[in-house]
Amino acid sequence: MAPRDTSTLAEPMARGRAPRVNPELLPAAVVLACAVLLIVASTLLNAGSSFVPQLDAVLVTSIFLVVASFGQGLTILLGGIDLSIGVVVGLAAIMVSTLTNGSNAAILWVVPATLGFAAFIGLVNGLGVALARVPPFIMTLASGISFYGVGLAFTTGLAQRPVAPGLVALMNARVAGVPIPVVILLGFVIVATIFQNGTSDGRKLYALGSSPGAARVLGLPIAALTILVYTLSGLCAGISGILLAGYSSAATIDIGDPLLLPTIAAVVIGGARVVGGRGIYLGTFAGALFLSALETIITVLNLSQGVRNIIEGAIIVFALLLQSERWRVARG
Amino acid sequence: MSAALRRLGRLRPTGGAVVAVVIFLALYAIYAASEASAASVFGLTNLFNNTVVLAIASAGLTLVVLAGEFDLSPIGVIAIANVVMATTSVGTLGWFGALILVLLIGAAVGLLNGWLVASLRLQSLAVTIGTMIACEGVALLLLPAPGGAVNQAIVDALTGDVLEVVPVALAVIALVLLVWLVLARTRFGIAIYAVGTDAMAARLSGLSAERTKLLAFVLAGVAYAFAGFMLSCQTGSGDPRASDTLLLYMYASVAIGGTSLMGGRGGVFGTLFGAGILSVMQKMLFALGAASFYTSIFSGLIMLVAIFIGNASELLARVRRQRVA
Amino acid sequence: MNGLSVRFKKWLRPVLCAAGGLAATAGFVLPAHAQGAHYKVFLDLSYSGNVWQAEAANGIAALAHTPPYDKEVTFKEVISGTDVQHQISDLQSMIAAGANAILFYPVSGTGLNRVIEQGCKRHVLMFAYDSSVTAPCAYNVASLSQGYAPNSAQWIINQLGGKGTVVINHGVAGTALTEVMSRQLLHVFGEYPGIHILQFYGSWNDAISQEAMAKILAADPNVDAVWSKDGNWGVLQALMQHRPNRLAVMSGQSNNGYRLAMGDPTLQKKGLIGLSAGSGPADGPYAFKVMMEVLTGQLKPTGHNISYPMPWVPYDKIKVCTGDSFVNGCNVFPASKVPASFIDTSLDGTYLPELNLASVQTGAPVPGMTIQKLQPLRYEGSLPGVNCVNCKAPAGWLDPTFIKPTVAPK
Repeated sequence: MAPRDTSTLAEPMARGRAPRVNPELLPAAVVLACAVLLIVASTLLNAGSSFVPQLDAVLVTSIFLVVASFGQGLTILLGGIDLSIGVVVGLAAIMVSTLTNGSNAAILWVVPATLGFAAFIGLVNGLGVALARVPPFIMTLASGISFYGVGLAFTTGLAQRPVAPGLVALMNARVAGVPIPVVILLGFVIVATIFQNGTSDGRKLYALGSSPGAARVLGLPIAALTILVYTLSGLCAGISGILLAGYSSAATIDIGDPLLLPTIAAVVIGGARVVGGRGIYLGTFAGALFLSALETIITVLNLSQGVRNIIEGAIIVFALLLQSERWRVARG
Repeated sequence: MSAALRRLGRLRPTGGAVVAVVIFLALYAIYAASEASAASVFGLTNLFNNTVVLAIASAGLTLVVLAGEFDLSPIGVIAIANVVMATTSVGTLGWFGALILVLLIGAAVGLLNGWLVASLRLQSLAVTIGTMIACEGVALLLLPAPGGAVNQAIVDALTGDVLEVVPVALAVIALVLLVWLVLARTRFGIAIYAVGTDAMAARLSGLSAERTKLLAFVLAGVAYAFAGFMLSCQTGSGDPRASDTLLLYMYASVAIGGTSLMGGRGGVFGTLFGAGILSVMQKMLFALGAASFYTSIFSGLIMLVAIFIGNASELLARVRRQRVA
Repeated sequence: MNGLSVRFKKWLRPVLCAAGGLAATAGFVLPAHAQGAHYKVFLDLSYSGNVWQAEAANGIAALAHTPPYDKEVTFKEVISGTDVQHQISDLQSMIAAGANAILFYPVSGTGLNRVIEQGCKRHVLMFAYDSSVTAPCAYNVASLSQGYAPNSAQWIINQLGGKGTVVINHGVAGTALTEVMSRQLLHVFGEYPGIHILQFYGSWNDAISQEAMAKILAADPNVDAVWSKDGNWGVLQALMQHRPNRLAVMSGQSNNGYRLAMGDPTLQKKGLIGLSAGSGPADGPYAFKVMMEVLTGQLKPTGHNISYPMPWVPYDKIKVCTGDSFVNGCNVFPASKVPASFIDTSLDGTYLPELNLASVQTGAPVPGMTIQKLQPLRYEGSLPGVNCVNCKAPAGWLDPTFIKPTVAPK
């Protein structure tokens, strides 16, 4: 196994060629460039289309993945994982539509309540992982399956009630020609990057993910940090679910299922290691954009679903191959 | 302690596996108490038919997990195996030819996964998402809609019972266990635990992590394909769609069976009972008249209970060992 | 939520069969068709978590509790999920528990055949709704052979005057329904060289369809028409968002919001020319009623593929209802009454007068209502691999049946 850095940002790396630049920025930039290339390719493939609307479409539809991937990225940073994300997204979407029931006034208490519930599921995961010592893979898989059953019990999976029009408008309106979701997206990316790669809490997470033993010696609050990360992951899935409910204005309990595996793929394509301690949020963001752009180009291709799947699978493997070469060089 | 004895020691089921056996028997007892046909050959045959696909696929997954990796591609391999059986087992190849073909396909996908993970050092959790999606695509190309037919001879033979006593599916599961017991005594069987526990130490003691992981993926691929073969016998036809639920339940089987998802600890024995627990639980909850959402809630809780008890019993064992020493 | 407590009670109520009933199941269950007998009836859902399935299931539950069925049956609903083995296991459990009849939404058209035959051998009535199975002993209640796809395709071509860009929103890749409809669509559109086709797989899901449609519109801004089945509500959202002043010709499912939009003159002026058709959730309750009539010996179908009439409402036939049911030819509720995603074809004044708005939303029976006489049965045509094996599709199954071309291919 490759030697792990104790802190990626706290001390610039000695072996890096450009000591003041985070070495993880390069893979993030490469993936981001690939995403832009995909959008350009999609523009060229479709006569009559132009770059900006394509970019808009990719950005707006990527927001759910971008937000949910932040939480996934944090858990993976600690060497864990969150498999309950798809379920939490669905539950949040159902909850926000059922409780607002078409009323804008209700948003004021429903959105905090929904986020609270989503964070609560994350908290349960965090407690299970940090205090009961259940492996994250199992804890989050089990809580996802169980909470799905709870959701089914309360709704029969049905959103008979409409999402508040305010949320729908939020996801569909523009300011100064820019779709509001894109503004939200950029704001989220900035906040998330600052948290993960600019605060002392973020640095502690890297230290903990790189070496739990060293973190213990340093006296870091391991349990508290772990609980924080899983709670944040639940919270992000909740935000993603609320945005998704607003975007599609019709929520179903399985609406988040297609997001789970892409959150993992986005984090890893962005340069993180599943064993923890590596990866920056900009990389995850680039990975999510890349997957969204890939989805776009595949959607627009006039092919049978079988061929689309094969191309999509191959490109995901290819994107990971690009990352692997980098490590071989770094290691050698 | 001699090497042979140590090897035998390794085969002893872990605490987690014992817990799985106990939970399985308890759930089965409740099921049998509330459903008269549970203990009949008809009921047992149904139960094991429902279990066998999950059990075999999870057994394969266990190998990869023991070696410290993940695999999300099994549902893709199962889908391909199913459509290949449905399109070739009648006529062209016959059931045996078709079986060999699907096992080879499974091995090939496993080889691809193994090469990407073990040789190119890609992260298995992500790269097998790619191969899963691609495999689903291949299945859709081979059979665009449900249909085809599976050779009637194996459909009847492999879903029935032997002399109206033993369900064939149970015999197949026993066969898988036997293969595992043999495999676990080989050099590969030892290496897989060593690599999963500490790849560096394994390398130092002369075991090739790369070759071990590669072989684990290949054998797992063969197991998934065999699971797809058994699924084809159950359904008698082909369906190109893969079930995400099955993938989740495979990991649940492995975890409930006491195998550590970090690698290096556990075994196929527990996994088989893990799969049995999930199947018998569905039957038990139905027999008790519980609403279907309880199945989900219980699946999750039972996973946690199994892990808790497994952890606790291992802790106890460690304390006892220390006291003895 | 009002319906919640009702639904909860329904779930928590234990199956009323105790040891006696169970003991009988170990052996051989004789068909019990005598009058005044009591039946054990199951509903097995596979897909769940969307409005279509929920409204169908609610309608079925409401019928099961409407007199005289409420006295005749013990009714239980089970959700098996989308894994074929799970559905097989649940169907086996139902057979073992002494079911007299099972109504199910098949997760696979062929994969359940063996368990279906197990049931038939034990004299259990096996009924599939909306999606069909090929097991000859099962009954299918569906509307596929009435040609939603080819007729709506021809309707779109007529509206477009024979040329333009059409987006096809295929359903779930790998299902028989999607495969049949896709072949029919490509055949009908393929007759017209002036039609340019784009296609995606929206999985019968509004959210997925909306995202995909947004991407298509960004890539090709000149879409003239969109064909969907379920998922068209999401397609309409994407259109309204990306091209609010230039909508399109649309064909799709029957969400209340979609029907209201179709009938809205301002949206019509912006180019929304809509058709609301395809199989509705009322197919489920209708199948339940037919199954009950067969079970109680009132009805002897002459075939196994029973037809439920396909809804067909073009934009110029939209009429807003004032009450809680579809009477006097009205076919859409005001926006204040139901959410936009509500599917109007869960109600049917002609074939299912027993149901009203509340019953399909909550699963509660209509107070004071009794089961009405069934309309004469009609039968579906054969579709090989969908509702039969070793059979032949009628000639021209790819062609439109009741919509005549108004423009010639050129």
